[in-house]
Amino acid sequence: MSRVGVRTRPTVDALGASRSRSQPSGRVGHVGRGLTALVALWFVLPLVPILLWALADQWNYPGVLPQRFGIRGWGAVANTDTLLALGRSAALGTGVAIVATVAGAAAGRAIGWRLVRRRGLLGVVLLAPVALPPFAVAMGLTPVLLRARVPETLGVAVVLSVFALPYTCYVFAAAYAGIDPALEDQARLLGATPRQALLRVTLPTLRPAIAAAAFLAFLVGWSDYIVTLVIGGGQLVTLPLLIAAAASGSGNEPVLAALSVVSVLPPVLALLIGRRLVGRRARGSLRASGDGDGDGDGDGYQLRSQALS
Amino acid sequence: MRGRTSTRPSHRGARSALPAVLLVVVVVVTALVALVLTATGLMPLVGRPHLRSDAFAAVAPDLLVQARESLLVGVAATVVAVAVGFAVALLLLTTRSGSRALSVVVTVPIPVAHLVGAASFALLLTGSGLANRLFGSPPDQWPSLVGGPWPVAAVLAFAWKESAFVALVVTATLAENLTDYSEAAALLGASRFARVRHVVLPLSAPALIGAGTIVLLYTLGNYEVMWLLGRAYPETLPVAANRLFGSIDLTSRPGAAVTALATTGLALAAAAAAVPLVRRAGMAR
Repeated sequence: MSRVGVRTRPTVDALGASRSRSQPSGRVGHVGRGLTALVALWFVLPLVPILLWALADQWNYPGVLPQRFGIRGWGAVANTDTLLALGRSAALGTGVAIVATVAGAAAGRAIGWRLVRRRGLLGVVLLAPVALPPFAVAMGLTPVLLRARVPETLGVAVVLSVFALPYTCYVFAAAYAGIDPALEDQARLLGATPRQALLRVTLPTLRPAIAAAAFLAFLVGWSDYIVTLVIGGGQLVTLPLLIAAAASGSGNEPVLAALSVVSVLPPVLALLIGRRLVGRRARGSLRASGDGDGDGDGDGYQLRSQALS
Repeated sequence: MRGRTSTRPSHRGARSALPAVLLVVVVVVTALVALVLTATGLMPLVGRPHLRSDAFAAVAPDLLVQARESLLVGVAATVVAVAVGFAVALLLLTTRSGSRALSVVVTVPIPVAHLVGAASFALLLTGSGLANRLFGSPPDQWPSLVGGPWPVAAVLAFAWKESAFVALVVTATLAENLTDYSEAAALLGASRFARVRHVVLPLSAPALIGAGTIVLLYTLGNYEVMWLLGRAYPETLPVAANRLFGSIDLTSRPGAAVTALATTGLALAAAAAAVPLVRRAGMAR
């Protein structure tokens, strides 16, 4: 707590504005550290079994740690089936990310810049998927898709895009609300076509929003289980289907753990890369791109976008 | 409709919102209509369509108890997620040291799918799970947290994932304007508790209620967490619907459709109940 009273990051210390007066910093330090440890425990402890099982060859009850460490699970999942499932999940995530980001950007523009009269109704329609159970929509649609001979992969991607849209629309509506529409008008006055104004003026300021929306939509496609199961009828085997198969039986813990770790890695990498890219590019044009906290590192945006997943 | 009307703001706006609106409306309306037709026998998988109500009669006795189970898990998970999320958000906004580490820790559940989270909670909380290994009690004396009479593991799995969501939503909302109000209150002599009670809580109420609503709706419609961690009877609505849908007996499809419609009805009712709350919290601000 050596920085108490030094206001270098005002947004982080909103409540502690007069802490140095009201409480001794040592006590706050202890309590703060204790609470931080508790929070860390809450968020990290639940993943410890998966992480340990991913490194265990043998872990019988009542051993607190594996009796034998190893990579048995990894050997079992290193095969073509897993690779194909990974590919399908990646394709699904990418497809959903493209559709939901493009459609969400266009709709977010209309909402954020107040370009439509009945914004309330538009908001209700675009938020509706949040209230609808994905399995119910998938169940209703399955016989229709079958009769219309729509390929199941396409059906799954379209349904998941619908469920990703509320998030991408929200991200873009917030981002557009932070950009002055006059910027595009000025570009037009200087001779830019509407397309040039969009591509060269608005889009660059939207980069953090594009990254956030695409990440969220990718997650929807990448981690879906039930829509893929219902519409794909078990034929479209993605990574979550393999994980569910391993989780439903017993004795598969190392395999389950290895598949789980594999499923977490790409989003983590995307998060890290995105954070770095957004952090670098957002410097200098943050206010325009909707980073309300204006502290220059894009945290506000990161938080808001991560929160939505 | 003269020449320039097509470029009027509302038209341009409507045009750019059209793809998203079409996608949502076509998929949602088609799915709901097909569910109603399936439930009423007008869109059978095999055979001739004719109007019937036996699917309703067949699943009706279970619907109420399944809805109750869904609500029990949903409400409990939402309460825990909102409470923990709000506490974590307060901690994020108040601690300077460690806030960097804290902001990283909070994002841990974000890239983890619900399915993976649920699987890990199963490995943590079953009789032979890590928690019991740490406590060292015999497996038969360990409370049945997974699939037991009380949906402890399921509630915790949802709350774990969603508390991160709530914390991040509240932090993002408060980060923008909390400082000014809180400083003003502090200068006017408000105590730490008074600031939380009269400044932080009202400011974060809209975010808390909004995020809580999303958590409740998500939990009500989720399948995989309850499938892995819930008890065999009563099932939640999504688990029951999917069991009927996947049954070898094709005649159970209408029952699955009725259960899916019931889930949708429950979620929409919950959403409708939350709207006035969200509105009131927004206005109070």
